[in-house]
Amino acid sequence: MEKIITEVAVIGAGPGGYPAAFALADKGKKVVLIDPEANPGGVCLYRGCIPSKALLHAAKVAEEARDAEDFGLSYGEPKVDPEKLFSWKDGVVTKLTGGLRSLTKARKINYVRGRASFTSSGALRVVTNSGEEREVVFQNAIISTGSVSGKIPGVDFGSRNVVDSDGALSMGEIPSSLLVVGGGYIGLELGTFFSSLGTEVTVVEMLPGLLQGIDRDLAGVLKKRLDEKFKSIMLETKLVSINELDNEVQVSFEADGKSFEEKYEKVLISVGRVPYTEGLGLENTRVTLDGKGFIETDTQRKTADPAIFAIGDVAGEPMLAHKATYEAKIVAEVITGAKTHYDPRAVPAVIFTDPEIAWCGMTESEAKETGVEIEVSKFPWAASGRALTLNRTDGLTKIITHRGTGRVVGVGIVGPQAGELISESVLAIEMGATAEDMAFSIHPHPTLTETLMEAAEGIYGASTHIMKRRSGRAPRK
Amino acid sequence: MIEFRLPELGEGIESGQVIEVLVSPGDRVTLEQPLLEVETDKAAVEIPSPTDGTIVDVLVSAGDTVAINEVLVRIDGDSEDKEPTSVEPDASAAVDEAEEESPAAAEKPAPERKPAKEEKKPSPQRVPRTDGAASSGPLKVAAAPSVRRLARELGIELSSVSGTGPRGRILERDVKTCAKAIIKSASSAPAVPEEPELPDFSRWGETITESFSTVRKLTAERLTQAWAAPHVTQFDKADATRLEELRKLNKEKVTEAGGSLTVTAILVKALSRALSEFPKFNSSIHMGSRTIVYKKYVNIGVAVDTERGLLVPVIRGVDKKDITQLSVELTDISSRAREKKLSADRLQGGSFTITNLGGIGGTFFTPILNPPEVAILGVSRSSVEPAYVEGEFLPRLMLPLSLSYDHRIIDGAEAARFLRWLCEMLEGSPESLFKGV
Repeated sequence: MEKIITEVAVIGAGPGGYPAAFALADKGKKVVLIDPEANPGGVCLYRGCIPSKALLHAAKVAEEARDAEDFGLSYGEPKVDPEKLFSWKDGVVTKLTGGLRSLTKARKINYVRGRASFTSSGALRVVTNSGEEREVVFQNAIISTGSVSGKIPGVDFGSRNVVDSDGALSMGEIPSSLLVVGGGYIGLELGTFFSSLGTEVTVVEMLPGLLQGIDRDLAGVLKKRLDEKFKSIMLETKLVSINELDNEVQVSFEADGKSFEEKYEKVLISVGRVPYTEGLGLENTRVTLDGKGFIETDTQRKTADPAIFAIGDVAGEPMLAHKATYEAKIVAEVITGAKTHYDPRAVPAVIFTDPEIAWCGMTESEAKETGVEIEVSKFPWAASGRALTLNRTDGLTKIITHRGTGRVVGVGIVGPQAGELISESVLAIEMGATAEDMAFSIHPHPTLTETLMEAAEGIYGASTHIMKRRSGRAPRK
Repeated sequence: MIEFRLPELGEGIESGQVIEVLVSPGDRVTLEQPLLEVETDKAAVEIPSPTDGTIVDVLVSAGDTVAINEVLVRIDGDSEDKEPTSVEPDASAAVDEAEEESPAAAEKPAPERKPAKEEKKPSPQRVPRTDGAASSGPLKVAAAPSVRRLARELGIELSSVSGTGPRGRILERDVKTCAKAIIKSASSAPAVPEEPELPDFSRWGETITESFSTVRKLTAERLTQAWAAPHVTQFDKADATRLEELRKLNKEKVTEAGGSLTVTAILVKALSRALSEFPKFNSSIHMGSRTIVYKKYVNIGVAVDTERGLLVPVIRGVDKKDITQLSVELTDISSRAREKKLSADRLQGGSFTITNLGGIGGTFFTPILNPPEVAILGVSRSSVEPAYVEGEFLPRLMLPLSLSYDHRIIDGAEAARFLRWLCEMLEGSPESLFKGV
């Protein structure tokens, strides 16, 4: 068995693992990066963020072309070439992951294709994709194995017609009908994609609302549009069974005590993601898991085993690529001797539906639950000149400040490009800025960023384009 | 049943040591009856019962250190429902009278700044799993990410840094200033030579070793601190013949009022005049900021010899009180100091101290400053001495006075003038001191 002696072993080359490996290599550490894929990238690049956003871009073009009829541009229904669309998406993935391969090589990181399992607190056994075994002896290890799709007990997926997000992203066709099981962000994003390209989409959710955890006023704006685009959104409805027929899937539901059945061409199971620690051999280390299966870590992302760190989805919520990347930088610094800790004031989150939802910091409902005294100012996009020119006035920008200090503690945005608008608010919260600071930073006109400036104005006075708080008026420009 | 907790004992006091427990389970107690005696850094106090009733349980014993709000005893009250209740009596209940004035800020030690300790926990610490209110991330101390990183590198707890940015935001320079202050205080700490180990006295005979009492510990620390101020002692004698006659004349009236007209009381009154004439003697200095703080009040501390050691209760607003009031108050606080019934507040806020050893004897001595005060007057026993007046020797009662002063702020000539002024007032116009008798 080939023996590799290294300073740091990184298990999993997703948006946590590869930045950690890169940062450590840049700091002069000898690094082994282990992942079964051909190139670094992980779920994010291969089966998550990137491919879904590529497909959603296509969906957006189709939607905008459709909306253009409002102002006199007609293209007719798009002709979809699924093969070309999905291979274009694959091309994006290949290009990105290939780029990472070059960066890995350039940094002289030993990239081992295979699966790793701890044999002790200081060594791993790696079975390569070609079946060879290697022993990796390390000083420090970073577990960044990410997460996998959650399962519904009794429902198998992985068949051609009942899929998880991996399957949906590589479906290669646009089905006539699709049932999305679960009203979370993954299901709604993929539902948005298929619906835009002509699929009849139905969503089923057990809980009384979509996107749990997000303020209802933001989720409400999205729900309103999805109600128009999707065939139906069934809330408080339980999926009872899934029965795969030849070319369709029979699904039975239960709502209000009544049972009913429907048939769909495809079913997407998107009921959340669970941390992936299977086969890692953690029992041979001192690493501990919490009740939900996440690896327990301290604020330096050290596990209970002092030589081993964990970052990204496997180390806990929020399961977001950018959180993993941030943790990667922290851990690289900790391993090289800096006194760094994971201590963000705000982690942004974006849902790439149409409209998009983005938020950071504290939500209004969290503030209420924890009794934090807040002020809230909302700026409806109906009063934004830019939103009108985009023919999209259904957005809303909301700023939450702490009553005592005036500091911005949370921002929520729903509307097209919300994801591109949120970063300013993250910086504001990180810097301890007040609403006044945001209001007195000049924002370019005409852009959607002005909605942040005006929402901030609303915190301590009146904003220019709203007469009274929460009573919108058309802009006079 | 009442769970009776240790009440607040004064500003900045977090705990006290139980000196004596005065009750046992089963004892009948009445409202205000002392339950136990507790000593803090500042004073010993008796903790009175909050109710009439029967002691069910005593949870502390002599020698224990108890925190404010810790349960001391459980009492079955006479007139109450049987639900357990918690009683946290007002601090003033622990002492006889509540102070109207608040203690002077000058007495409060500056808050210590400690470098942050990196926590190293053996087991993983649960971290907040969401970017949510649980972590209250957005509400933590306002400081930019780069500033937080710098603070961590330097090992500085951000909560100990005062921010000078808008709305108290912590800036890079604030963290650096804090770091410099820590380094400076570490290096400028008085270079106390390493204390040599005591020799093995048992080689020469039997010994007994005792720990310092709280009062002894504080006295020792305080005086070591005082030693850092270069001070000089000026001696003088006042002709107190006329003063003594007046004292005897007025003595009874003051006794009727409940006080005792002592030389100390008269000197307290006289000092208040001298301090308004020479405000520098009623000041404090801060070398770091090179500032002098003049006090517009006159609070005089009087050193009292007690069983537990030296205590300095303070008479406040001396300039606004007449000799009778001062005598009564002095008698009261002296006896309370001896009976351990003095609240911590009464030991704070002094601006000048007087120490009278005349009752024991001696001629002159060199008192040590009571920081942050800048002067202290020592009084010795007066004696009849021959004075050469207009060609003949006359017997005069002479009072030896020793004034120690902080030479950093007070020059020798000023001290000589101050003491002479005091002596001349005692000699020349003692009548004015007895107004109000």
